[in-house]
Amino acid sequence: MSASRDTRRLVLRQLWPGRAGAAALAGAILAATGLPLLAPQLTRRFVDGAIGGDDTAALTLIALGYLGLAVSGQFARMLTAWLASRLAWDGTNRLRESLAEHALSLDMDYHGQRTPGEMIERVDGDVVALAEFVVAFLLDIVVSLLLLLGVLVVVLTVDVRIGGVLAAYCGLIWFGMVRAQRLAVPAATRVRERYAALFGNLEERLAGAEDIRANGAGHHVVNRFHQASAGLYRSDLRAERIGGGLFAITTVAFAAGTAIVLGLAAWTQQAGTLTIGTAVLLFQYTQMVRAPIERLIDQLKQYQRALAGMARIGDLLSQRRTMTEPARPLPLPPSGPLGLELAGVGFAYPDDGERVLAGVDLRLPPGQTLGLVGRTGSGKTTIARMALRLYDPTEGTVRVGGVDLRDTDPAQRRHRICAVTQDVQLFAATVRDNLTLFRPELADALSGGGATGGAGAQPTDLAADDRLRAVLVEVGLGGWFATLPEGLDTTLGQHGAGISAGEGQLLAFARAFLTDPGLVVLDEASSRLDPATEQRIEAAIDRLLADRTAVLIAHRLSSLSKVDQIAVVEDGRVVEYGLRAELAADPGSRFAYLLDAAGVAR
Amino acid sequence: MSPVSGSARKRRRTPVWLVAGRLVRVSLGRYLWGGVLWSLFFIIPILTGLVLKGLFDLLSGARVAGLDAALWLCAAFVAVEATRGAVFWTALNFWPYWWNGAETTLRANTLRSVLTARGPAASRLPHSSGEAVARFRDDVRDLVVLTDNLVDLTGALVFTGAAFAIMASIDPVITVVLVLPLLAVLVMNRFLSAVIRRVHSRARQLGAVVTAYIGEMFAGVLAIKTSGAEAAALARLREHNRRRRKAAVADRLAMDMVDTVTGASVELSIGLVLLLSAAAMRRGDFTVGDLALFTSYVGWLTLLPRFLGRMLYRVPQGAVATERLTRLMAPYEDADHLSRRTGVWLTADPPPALTRVPERTDPLRVLEARGLTVRYGVDGRGLHAVDLRLERGTFTVVTGAVGAGKTTLVRALLGLLPATAGTVRWNGRVVDDPGTFLVPDRVAYAGQVPRLFSESLRENLLLGWPAGADELTRALELATFEQDLAGMPDGLDTLVGPRGVRLSGGQVQRATAARALVRSPDLLVVDDLSSALDVETEQLLWERIAGAARDGQGPATLLVISHRRAALERADQVVVLDRGQVVGTGPLTELLRTCPEMRRLWSEELVVEAEEQAPRPTH
Repeated sequence: MSASRDTRRLVLRQLWPGRAGAAALAGAILAATGLPLLAPQLTRRFVDGAIGGDDTAALTLIALGYLGLAVSGQFARMLTAWLASRLAWDGTNRLRESLAEHALSLDMDYHGQRTPGEMIERVDGDVVALAEFVVAFLLDIVVSLLLLLGVLVVVLTVDVRIGGVLAAYCGLIWFGMVRAQRLAVPAATRVRERYAALFGNLEERLAGAEDIRANGAGHHVVNRFHQASAGLYRSDLRAERIGGGLFAITTVAFAAGTAIVLGLAAWTQQAGTLTIGTAVLLFQYTQMVRAPIERLIDQLKQYQRALAGMARIGDLLSQRRTMTEPARPLPLPPSGPLGLELAGVGFAYPDDGERVLAGVDLRLPPGQTLGLVGRTGSGKTTIARMALRLYDPTEGTVRVGGVDLRDTDPAQRRHRICAVTQDVQLFAATVRDNLTLFRPELADALSGGGATGGAGAQPTDLAADDRLRAVLVEVGLGGWFATLPEGLDTTLGQHGAGISAGEGQLLAFARAFLTDPGLVVLDEASSRLDPATEQRIEAAIDRLLADRTAVLIAHRLSSLSKVDQIAVVEDGRVVEYGLRAELAADPGSRFAYLLDAAGVAR
Repeated sequence: MSPVSGSARKRRRTPVWLVAGRLVRVSLGRYLWGGVLWSLFFIIPILTGLVLKGLFDLLSGARVAGLDAALWLCAAFVAVEATRGAVFWTALNFWPYWWNGAETTLRANTLRSVLTARGPAASRLPHSSGEAVARFRDDVRDLVVLTDNLVDLTGALVFTGAAFAIMASIDPVITVVLVLPLLAVLVMNRFLSAVIRRVHSRARQLGAVVTAYIGEMFAGVLAIKTSGAEAAALARLREHNRRRRKAAVADRLAMDMVDTVTGASVELSIGLVLLLSAAAMRRGDFTVGDLALFTSYVGWLTLLPRFLGRMLYRVPQGAVATERLTRLMAPYEDADHLSRRTGVWLTADPPPALTRVPERTDPLRVLEARGLTVRYGVDGRGLHAVDLRLERGTFTVVTGAVGAGKTTLVRALLGLLPATAGTVRWNGRVVDDPGTFLVPDRVAYAGQVPRLFSESLRENLLLGWPAGADELTRALELATFEQDLAGMPDGLDTLVGPRGVRLSGGQVQRATAARALVRSPDLLVVDDLSSALDVETEQLLWERIAGAARDGQGPATLLVISHRRAALERADQVVVLDRGQVVGTGPLTELLRTCPEMRRLWSEELVVEAEEQAPRPTH
């Protein structure tokens, strides 16, 4: 799996810090490599000066110079790290945001096949790996390479022969270490896999702790854990032996290199062409090459991981949405109820071609309501989603307000058509954010608009807050709201902690009141509410549906008592369709059969 | 109560040192041997410095000798480093056993407590199993690293002692001055470690916020898309991102600061040596070799303040880890239970937990719960004084709307949830810990959100229960699983669970029912099978189980959560719950007369089942 050139360019464009940022970083990197390279030169001057009998003042000056150089070299490195991590985070945040934006724009078909956990991995996990690599790339790869090159160049200028030997030696060690890594990496990978498997198992067992306890299998599971730990130990021991062996060999190899350079220095010095100060300098430079080589090799592994992440990022970005928005959209009627018409609508999922709907014809005049009845999986929800344009029909047309949905403007569509699903989707955010879905201006627009003037977009705008409170009372959450310590600013916990399931449903329901939709889709799924919540919801539904067109999916036939039309759906087809009153009166109709089964009066 | 007072008497040391001491003794021999070798590893650089001194003295002509001697010293330099490498490698052959043994001891003890200790485990485990796993991973590691670092610290102490002795014999003044940068490193480490931990945990926390938000955003993608809130949701992501970036950059900066301070202190020391030795070197009192020795030691000398500084935060970190791990354990357990040497099986398999089915001693005649109460949070949701009586050979169905407390009732009865009040009696005798008493072979439970583990189907069903092939086949048949089994690629050896073959919800629930049935319990408790079984299969399942009970081949007594006709019509008694309270008990026919909530649930169920089985229209 390799990232295509396009992806790489796309990702790199997101990461590019801009000219000023790049210049600052380049400066810091040069300082971080240049300053440490200069320091040994001063040690040489010092040693030669001390031996040669320079006066103490001059020596002290050199020592002070060394101090300044070396310490500022350390700070230059810190500065580089700081700049690099700032830029890396800026870049990867941009990348994260554009990935999220892209993913959000994809069709429901895409999201239906992926869990939120997977999306977290794609949008965050891979990007974090990339961010770490970018920082490491700048700090470890660029700085190390420059430092290594610098050392070699300096030593070459000091003594070509010694420099040549050092360069050849570095090349040899580099080659050997890269080869050796190939030996060590599989063993280390195995340990990581075992480790991940051990904790994967552990997570499964902890999540299933009740099953285990209730089945009296605790001791058995602990035994299995011992076995898994033993497996981890065996691969760990192997990896440590290999890795440790390599470390030991590297240590000896570097020592040998140092010894060779020192030996050469001793030999040259005997010949009288090299001062003792230069010997010290050569020793210090030799010591300096080890860290960068080690860091470079270490980063080779990270590079593989970052590449894999990059490939997955490219994969996500290459996903295209199948539904296209019109270039010149037709307007929906701006106010009042909207009619809905499905003409010969058929639908099949693009990936497996499974036919979900066929030949659906429905005509719902403005202001009327339609109840969809049928068993789970019969296609009711798909019909409802057609009206929201979450899917486009593969055959036929869906018209809202007389306009083909494919020709409508997305923003206007979202404003004029509204959906309430009983699959409650709450955020770990304030009540206000949960109501407005992070659009504080939404309530403001409804609170009478011009009354608060131009500065009314403030999230704490009083009129807007009043409107939100009014909506909460309207859906029957007034009592609950009164108990909140910080009112609209109260933060709900993750997964809706601090709010019961019924209250969560009402809160999601309240969102519908914040816009002025002309068509409402209520997909009640099959949730069984307690009687109190059910009553509150029904009252709220009545208020929401007044003078609006609506499609209702309900399991409780009693909640369909006020609809105008009924369609019975079976296997993706409408098998019975008509006015509710007529169907109920016809003893041979399926609807009548269902009413009888439920014991609901016709 | 004896465990509490017992350990209180024993525990004189603080818990974290108790744990560290126990960890050392997990494999005392290896710890000591490894300790000696690691210390050597840290001490050998003393020799390296001496060799370098000799070499540079030779080169600078402070000692008169030829090239031969210089080359010998070069060889000695390599030999010393080779010895150091060999010591390192040898130590690595001992250490993994101790390390893994120590980690396994802590993890196995905690896991044992979660899975077998008295009292419900639900209240001890954090909400997400991911967080619990993080404790098993990070907190355990913190404690093992603390114990491991004791060895490093010893090595660094010996090195520092020896190095200072040698340096003082060369130049006492410079040696004394060199203590200053070391103190600076120590102080910085001490000071910075608190900052680092704070900054780091903040960065982690804000990172988790971003992750959680992305998860929520995609979980709520339908709501966002249908209301056109994409831009606003992204704006919020940007805000979270910005906050996380700031924290992450600060985190990185704090870590780099420690490196910088250490690096700078080494350079500072070298600079100090140069400054102070200038005059002595001119006089010839301080040789180039001495300079080489000092500069080579200075790098290693920072190890001690670094290790000391590290220890200064490892100890409180270890205390926190001990505390967090013991919180996963039962209330009566403490650091003593956490670190007990319960055995390490890294080279051999542990003995099986159960080799034969235990003798049945007190078969169920009647199980009774009185005043069972569970309170959740501040709003008092939960269960209010529920009474329940199950007699041998009866079929009891618990029913109610979503959130009525059905699952809570069953879990509280079985001791999986802590009950605030109420008693449970088995044949009239009070059960003081239902969680460990109402288990196979007395009671078996198939939960509502059952879990299969990533193991073979056989392992998932048996989980160590010593049942033969016949018993397993019978259990699978009772659970109406035989057809599914025929479709599995490797039969009972098929790998299932999250990392294996994906089973449908219905298959998972029936497999879980089989897991309960293979334990041939007196009482079988089943939580709502309806979401995963169609009406006919559920009917068949109850028929088979009832048939087996008649033949004495299966559980005689059943407690079932359901709203299905198949179960309700079969029930000897139905218990209707509404908002945590029993609003009706008795046979279905009676309840349909007397209990309005039962009538409401019943009519709803009739519609759902009628929709599923609607006949063709007659006209």
